Amino acid sequence: MSSTEPSQNKTWELSLYELHRTPQEVITDATEIAVSPRSLHSELMCPICLDMLKKTMTTKECLHRFCSDCIITALRSGNKECPTCRKKLVSKRSLRPDPNFDLLISKIYPSRDEYEAHQERVLAKINMSHSQASLVNSITEGIKLQSQNRPQRSRKNQEESSANSTSNVNGNNTDPPQNGGTTSITNNREGSSSTGNPTPSGQSTSNPASVRSTPSPVPSNLSSVSKNTSTTKRAKSVLTSERSEESESSDGRTEGENSMDTEGEGEVLNPNEIELVFKPHPTEMMGDNQLMRALRDSSVRYLKTTANASVDHLSKYLAMRLTLDLDTELPEAYRLLNFCIYVAPTPGQFVPLAGAQTLRQINDKYWKVNKPLEMYYSWKKT
Amino acid sequence: MAQNINPHYASSSNPSKQNEDTIKLKDNHAVSKRLQKELMELMRCADKGISAFPESENLFKWIGTINGPLDTVYAGHKYKLALEFPNSYPYAPPLVKFITPCFHPNVDTCGLICLDILKDKWTALYDVRTVLLSIQSLLAEPNTQSPLNQQASCLWANQGEYKKYLDEFYNKHKDL
Repeated sequence: MSSTEPSQNKTWELSLYELHRTPQEVITDATEIAVSPRSLHSELMCPICLDMLKKTMTTKECLHRFCSDCIITALRSGNKECPTCRKKLVSKRSLRPDPNFDLLISKIYPSRDEYEAHQERVLAKINMSHSQASLVNSITEGIKLQSQNRPQRSRKNQEESSANSTSNVNGNNTDPPQNGGTTSITNNREGSSSTGNPTPSGQSTSNPASVRSTPSPVPSNLSSVSKNTSTTKRAKSVLTSERSEESESSDGRTEGENSMDTEGEGEVLNPNEIELVFKPHPTEMMGDNQLMRALRDSSVRYLKTTANASVDHLSKYLAMRLTLDLDTELPEAYRLLNFCIYVAPTPGQFVPLAGAQTLRQINDKYWKVNKPLEMYYSWKKT
Repeated sequence: MAQNINPHYASSSNPSKQNEDTIKLKDNHAVSKRLQKELMELMRCADKGISAFPESENLFKWIGTINGPLDTVYAGHKYKLALEFPNSYPYAPPLVKFITPCFHPNVDTCGLICLDILKDKWTALYDVRTVLLSIQSLLAEPNTQSPLNQQASCLWANQGEYKKYLDEFYNKHKDL
């Protein structure tokens, strides 16, 4: 608390309230004071990012609180004054960390992640109207981000890197991020298919995909990419999933299976989301064909996405995803194939699905059991 | 799969670039998150006389409307504005322009507004709501000392004449 004692050559200008206030009685009995979530929220919120305070910093003179990152950015990027009251803030030294406040927050919200997940859900709800378009957006963005990582990984595995793949990466990276919001669905599709199909020159020299470890279905990432129906949140969600990978990646190949098993237990499934398993059609995709050979273990796909995604979305997703994953392994003829999608209400019975049907409709119509929807794909022979 | 990659390795192969991008992505996410929160708040408790909504799916471009403040010459008028948020928002102000032509001492013919809080007096605590409210009160209380529109500035003293010219101007241009 601010001391009312004037230091040597400094006088405090005190408000009427400050002059007359008396200490609050300490509550020692079982009295409970109810605080509305909204007023609580405004206390714990950083006025810059409007999010819950993270690494609280308090201004030394005017006692306004901000996230450490927010206030430091604010001081760096402009006026050297308190964003709340315009009191002069000379530098970071005019701020002090406020660990007690952080403790208070962590006491009230023991699981910050949970809070943030809730926030994201609320925000996602607002953007529901955009969800169809943003599903496609988020998928393509996710794919783009993955493809950014791809050439670098193969460089890790195989030292000989090529200038081409680097320029490819940079090309992707320098995409202005906010474009994702503006571009229409068609634009995005084009954008991502061009990432999927590197130019022939890039292709010949860049990463041979064969050095990649066996692709395994990774539901955690996909779900987090497509779960957020808002166009704007995917960047974070992808980052989040990358962070979680860091901790997981030690167990290498088994990781896919592990996260597969635990998938769904750890997190509560949003009612607007549907989990599904994609498998190759057992008869139509059988036999010796190049696609199946290239697919090998990655032929089974797990994903979680919004329930109003349509079959068309899925087949486009699948086509792009397989093309990207297999990259140069896959002969040109198999790139961006059209897929037929089936559901198997009873084993052995495959019902082809119309493109406009949404997952919700399919789930309600064909899938009565409480386990992830199983769907099958085979390519359309054109 | 790409996501199995340890980010540490990924960045070590091209550290500066990767870092820069992560920051850019993260920042961009923070900006849109804040804009979403603002939108949510605006939708939850709409202020009388102002409104704003993203223009399209792009959260960085909004369209706002301001009703002319009551008991002023602007009463009954409705003005559309374009708000464009930089990636450095909220550390930098949005670019705000009148779409509906506005006859006002501090608004130029292109719709650009001369308002200190949109320039050097900006702080990260301002948001769409406060910006629109400020512009609304600017309508009522122009600064005739540093006008962008000389004619309006000169006419301001004579409120009767001003009102007559303003209404004519408004009715001619409002549907543009």
